[in-house]
Amino acid sequence: MTQSEVEGIQLLVSGTGDGHQYTRTILDALPVAVYTTDAQGRLTYFNPAAVTLSGRVPQLGSDQWCVTWRIYDENGTLVPHDRCPMAMLLQNIAVEPGGEYQAERPDGTRFWFMPYPALLRDADGKVTGGINVLVDTTERRNRELRAHEQFRAIIETTPECVKIVAPNGDLLFMNPSGLEMIGATRPDDVTGRSVYDLIMPEHREFYREFNERICRGEKGTLEFDIVGFAGERRNMETHAAPLRYFDGNTVQLAVTRDVTERKRQDRAALLLSAIVDSSDDAIVSKDLNGVITSWNKAAERLFGYTAAEAVGRPVAELIIPADRQEEEPQILSRLRRGERVDHFETKRQCKDGTLLDISLTISPVKDAKGTIIGASKIARNITESKRIQAALAASESQFRQLADAMPQIVWTAGPDGRVDYYNERWYEFTGFDRNTFGDISWEGILHPGDLQRCRATWYEAVKSGEPYNIEYRFFDRANQQWRWFVGRALPVRDESGTIVKWFGSCTDIDQQKRVQEDLRRANQDLEQFAFSASHDLQEPLRTVKIYSELLLKRHADALSGEAHKFLGFVHGAATRMELLIRDLLAYTHAAKIEAASEAIDSNEAFHSALADLAGLISETGAQITADHLPSVRVHSTHLQQLFQNLIGNAIKYRSRERTPEVHVAAERQQDEWIFSVRDNGIGIDPEYKENIFGLFRRLHSSDEYSGTGIGLAICRRIMDRYHGRIWVESEPGRGSVFRFSFPA
Amino acid sequence: MIVEDNDADVFLIQEALAGTGLRIELEILLDGEQAIDFFERVEHDPDLSCPTLIILDINLPKKQGGEVLKQIRRGPKCSAAPVLVVSTSDSQPDRERMASLGADGYFRKPSEYEEFMKLGAIAKKWLGPQSS
Repeated sequence: MTQSEVEGIQLLVSGTGDGHQYTRTILDALPVAVYTTDAQGRLTYFNPAAVTLSGRVPQLGSDQWCVTWRIYDENGTLVPHDRCPMAMLLQNIAVEPGGEYQAERPDGTRFWFMPYPALLRDADGKVTGGINVLVDTTERRNRELRAHEQFRAIIETTPECVKIVAPNGDLLFMNPSGLEMIGATRPDDVTGRSVYDLIMPEHREFYREFNERICRGEKGTLEFDIVGFAGERRNMETHAAPLRYFDGNTVQLAVTRDVTERKRQDRAALLLSAIVDSSDDAIVSKDLNGVITSWNKAAERLFGYTAAEAVGRPVAELIIPADRQEEEPQILSRLRRGERVDHFETKRQCKDGTLLDISLTISPVKDAKGTIIGASKIARNITESKRIQAALAASESQFRQLADAMPQIVWTAGPDGRVDYYNERWYEFTGFDRNTFGDISWEGILHPGDLQRCRATWYEAVKSGEPYNIEYRFFDRANQQWRWFVGRALPVRDESGTIVKWFGSCTDIDQQKRVQEDLRRANQDLEQFAFSASHDLQEPLRTVKIYSELLLKRHADALSGEAHKFLGFVHGAATRMELLIRDLLAYTHAAKIEAASEAIDSNEAFHSALADLAGLISETGAQITADHLPSVRVHSTHLQQLFQNLIGNAIKYRSRERTPEVHVAAERQQDEWIFSVRDNGIGIDPEYKENIFGLFRRLHSSDEYSGTGIGLAICRRIMDRYHGRIWVESEPGRGSVFRFSFPA
Repeated sequence: MIVEDNDADVFLIQEALAGTGLRIELEILLDGEQAIDFFERVEHDPDLSCPTLIILDINLPKKQGGEVLKQIRRGPKCSAAPVLVVSTSDSQPDRERMASLGADGYFRKPSEYEEFMKLGAIAKKWLGPQSS
């Protein structure tokens, strides 16, 4: 019954007047409940439909306001008769129109209805009574209820998450599956909270945009990750549509599926196929009849057949050589029993006929029920490694022959430093038993004082991969004494630079070591001797010198001319000897000074030398010049001594015919500095070029040129100490150039 | 006081000191052992006093100059007495060692007479005019 139909009835009654026979006939015939009252609400008329609906026969004149027995509001609360809509209208109390009520019949059954009360007025407009039309809505209500229940049941039982999200992200509703998905226990855990809090931070922004788009009226699908209440990340796929919410806003209705597992499986499947495809080993599967069912890229490369050529054909026909055909039935029968075949070495034939050495690993493939349905086969080409193995065995045997022929102890160790081989010398020297080979057996015969150092050096070398060279003592069982050895080890690397082996040797240097030690001691003694001797020699010499001088001074008158002359010889000889001793001291000192650590300015050493030679220079009028000189790593005393001796010599052996000129220069040649001291003196006969650097070597008598014959020996000794060189170039009568070189 | 085994040098030292014009009473000890005995006695005998200046050679028979110097510096009496070391050696280690033992001066014995006589002028700074 529509609103306008109801209004038609109301108009009919009010317009024609109550009690009109024509109207009554119509009202009586109506299928909808209608009744009228007087102004006090007392019942004045009801039609048969009202009796049917209310389940009772109302009492005219005594029933007030209603025809029904009991009335309840939508919430099921009992409504007193004087508060029913009709009563309210007649009593002029405002009431919300459109309300739906439930009424109970005396037999206890209930029905839903909508009342349409209206006032009846006379010609003057005075209220004379009321009319009410009761429209039965029970069937519509029930229909709606069923639909609602069905909908609720669907929402609650669907395994997907169903949720409603407000434009601002607030979660308005979420079904039980959704709650379960995020690990919530009650709807209150999430409703009213922002859904964004559940989204992984990196997906939050695009989820927000998505939500806003849906709330603007679009439909959409989105994948995103959430982090559930338990903290675990899950992949989601959502389908969303706009929903007109009861408050008038458009919100997002979304059905979301947890796709974590599906994605994991997708990834696993992708990974597996990538692994199979990228494998260097041929991976082939076949059914229990030996027919190929899959054939990866490596199989294509290895055997030369494409997957298209291979799949569907029996393995035996394709790659098993004629003389090995019996292998396949054996393999198949083992597979049927569920056995694996591991590292089975055999031969297989390529498309081009080449035979390959192959290592096969075959495992049965089972279906979900555990039934064996085929086999997967991994074939590795070992042709090359077989060849290498053979070559390696040959080279190893060569190496052992060679190692055994060597006079040194030779050993090898793995990259981890574990010794895995010793040559014959080792067993001869140690007397160890070959059968009780031990990785660290060397520690047992090492001198306790060397043990820590050797261990540290070796393990450090293993760690850093650097070769080493170390001296230590081993106990010589045969002679019951310690002997010095030098141990060396070199890492052997493969093409990629990885150490694959250590190769080491131990060389007996005991004899050499003793000789060296003896030599060092002898040298030390000699220097000590020279040093003390020159000191102690000076003392008596001084007395000889000073008293011969005193004798000449105080007793000149008492001495004959010859005595004067003899005393002169004594004094002269003593003076010369004094010089000799001073130079010898300088000579022994030349190699004693500690190594220079810093570069020094050669110009300074040059000027110091000139200062010491000042007397000689002014006496002879010598012209000494120099270029700018470099800095070198030399002890300044040594450089000064070199300049002093060489410039001193240059002036001393000057030509009588010209003013002595000396020029000092330095020149860089590759990685050394070559200093030169050039003079215009008498020069040196080439015959004596080498001689002059020896101790006490003199080319002239002391009458001609005074000197001890030690100066150049000192220079040579200094240069030896720096592993430098000194030599002379000369043209007799025109001059000489002395050169010496220092590493730059 | 001169501690010197070489007569030739004793003579030269005496000449150098005479050159100062001061009146000097000289005592000469000829080896290290005598010198150590002497300085021990000085410390224990209240009647003995420390010499005004000790001229000490390094190379001495029996006990070296260094040991003598240690003995001199050991007792309270001579701990501050001026000691002038004389030696043929010009080596830096010798100079440093004697200085560290408490020598007040070091004179290298030269091989020329005139040079040797310069010892007098050096000794004079410790032998004031009041010395005897």
